[in-house]
Amino acid sequence: MKMKLAGGAALGLATMLVLSSCGSGDSGGANNAQSSGGGQVTLKMVAADYGDGPGKPNSGETFWKGVVDEFQKQNPNIKVDVQVINWNDIDKQVATMVQNGQVPDILQTGGYAGFAKEQLLYKVDEVLSPNVQQDMLQKFADNGKLDGVAYGIPFVSSARALFYNKDLFQKAGIAEPPKTWDELKAAADKLKKAGVSQPFGLPLGQEEAQAESLLWMLGNGGGYKDASGKWAINSPQNVETFTYMKGLVDAGLTTPNPGTKDRKTVWEDFGAGKVGMVNGGPMSIPIFDTAGLKNYGVAPIPGKTGPLDTTLGVQDWIMAFNKNGHAEEIKKFFDFFYTGDAAQKISELYKLLPVTKGGIDKLSSDEKLKPFLDALPNATFYPQADPKWDAVSAQMKQTIGSAVKDDPAKVLGELQKAAESS
Amino acid sequence: MRRLRALEPLAWIGPAVVLIALVVLWPVIEMVRSSFLKISRFGVVQGDNFPDNYTKLFGEKDFADIMVRSVIWVVAVVALTVLISLALAQLFNQRFPGRKVARWALIAPWAASVLMTAIIFKWMLDPEVGVINQIRLKLGLIDAMGGASADQLGDASSAMPWLVFVAVFVSVPFTTYALLAGLATIPADVYEAARMDGASRLRTYWSITLPLLRPALTVAALINVMNVFNSFPIIWAMTHGQPGYSTATSTILMFILKGSNIGESAAMSVVNFGMVIVLTAIFLKVSRWNKEVA
Repeated sequence: MKMKLAGGAALGLATMLVLSSCGSGDSGGANNAQSSGGGQVTLKMVAADYGDGPGKPNSGETFWKGVVDEFQKQNPNIKVDVQVINWNDIDKQVATMVQNGQVPDILQTGGYAGFAKEQLLYKVDEVLSPNVQQDMLQKFADNGKLDGVAYGIPFVSSARALFYNKDLFQKAGIAEPPKTWDELKAAADKLKKAGVSQPFGLPLGQEEAQAESLLWMLGNGGGYKDASGKWAINSPQNVETFTYMKGLVDAGLTTPNPGTKDRKTVWEDFGAGKVGMVNGGPMSIPIFDTAGLKNYGVAPIPGKTGPLDTTLGVQDWIMAFNKNGHAEEIKKFFDFFYTGDAAQKISELYKLLPVTKGGIDKLSSDEKLKPFLDALPNATFYPQADPKWDAVSAQMKQTIGSAVKDDPAKVLGELQKAAESS
Repeated sequence: MRRLRALEPLAWIGPAVVLIALVVLWPVIEMVRSSFLKISRFGVVQGDNFPDNYTKLFGEKDFADIMVRSVIWVVAVVALTVLISLALAQLFNQRFPGRKVARWALIAPWAASVLMTAIIFKWMLDPEVGVINQIRLKLGLIDAMGGASADQLGDASSAMPWLVFVAVFVSVPFTTYALLAGLATIPADVYEAARMDGASRLRTYWSITLPLLRPALTVAALINVMNVFNSFPIIWAMTHGQPGYSTATSTILMFILKGSNIGESAAMSVVNFGMVIVLTAIFLKVSRWNKEVA
């Protein structure tokens, strides 16, 4: 009798295991059923973390909780579940969600084109009111189009400029920030002689090698694509650019082994007064502030023969997936986000630049952001509308730093080959 | 009633079988299946494409180097770990004042998260402020902080030894404790007999301790082989496999590929899985061969 009981218990346990493993798969279906019934709708949102991670006062969780609480107060029938993922993991985790058929309703991240190409997204017209669309900066909105149809909604943006440490410049006897590559090298030499360990901060490692590289390419009339829209990573201009950079590295005028350094590390070193100049953006200002650096200047980025008349504009996106069919609710949330003060809050909190005309007007009085706001209208962007861009950029993050260590033509040539074939 | 009795074992092992099928077998099948599929970077399955993922993977410029590096990495880390642990286990098996404290101290690297340990070592090796570089500066081994000479993780030739060091550092505690447990099972009278016969200490260690320790040694080394081969956090946290792919092992490559091509990444996982099985088979063969000689 006792044995039988135990056997039954074991069987029961086995059944429970099987049942519980099915349960998790069912929950998505239950949500759908609810929404079609017209009652409470839950929007699942995945967002990238612009802050310093979980637990920090500026974490993405804290920011979105504030936005969502306010939204839910106004729309008691809509619940928004926000999952915040850090930048390093978000692409991979979202890909896993898509692969498993558990797509979010709303995604906020660095690219949209791949999802749009797979026809996973709502058109912008379906989820954003016309008045909000009209308020978007035209150039930004245009970048969100794939084959003439808008899928990506501009979320925030940033622009880049050259930051230089005024104290170190004075110590080295440099009167003003360099405008050309020759001046840059001369300034770096002087800084080196004055005992600065990293005259020019050069982060070409995993974190954002594709940004730093493009800033240099632009200085020599290069870029990732040529005027006709073909990949041109190993164009003669770009090879020349990287050969020049390699010269700086070999002379010990940059961060050592740039191909292994992340921008955050280099910005922190700049904040600590170890770096003479570095390319940065509004989002690096909080890092410099935290490190206690006060006396720094902002200047246009030097190019081969003169300062850049453009800069790198980086644009992040928000988009709506069409799988769960919540267009109405998503529209309410998007309109709430852009017409309320949430969009402005995110700009102030993380020093990101707004993407709407209204937002730019509101921030134009901010002294520190002004140089970047001024640069925005003339910015150059990544070829984000090219669905291959994300894969190319992933590869670039890993290997483009080798171009200042090994043979630039060879390294850029391999990236070009990958871009053409991927 | 009797028929029910016959079914009873099934009820006992059933949950375990179900659990193994769900947790072990299903992911393996899913992994192999994914490696035959064309999956976009955004997770959309676009159909069958065997063997494209594999040809693309084997065609990667750095693939051969990475596989060779992975094997060297495993052999170096496991060999060093076992050698150091054998010595440490012998030491900790002696009675000496403070043994308890020393044994506890050895647990520390094991108890700390591997990722945390790796990040701390990365900080200590920071070219601008790292404590290890400050010591090297004081000792006159480098001229200044912040330069290429202070940046040991920036170049494969100096980064690899550090990666191996950290991997050994985190593997030694477990291995030492496994060997300590093994030492405790060796009966004292065997040693007594050896002493009576006038065997030297070295001879005793070689002919008694090591052979009797073999079961513990085999298990400890085997677990290390698999662990180290699949080890990810140390290399990822300290170098990202950079510069280029020059400090990457196959596990790192698998993770990087996941960012651009999930199918190819799955193919790498399958190759990895095969490698672990092959390495394990070779290892078991070698250790059994030892048994016959002894």
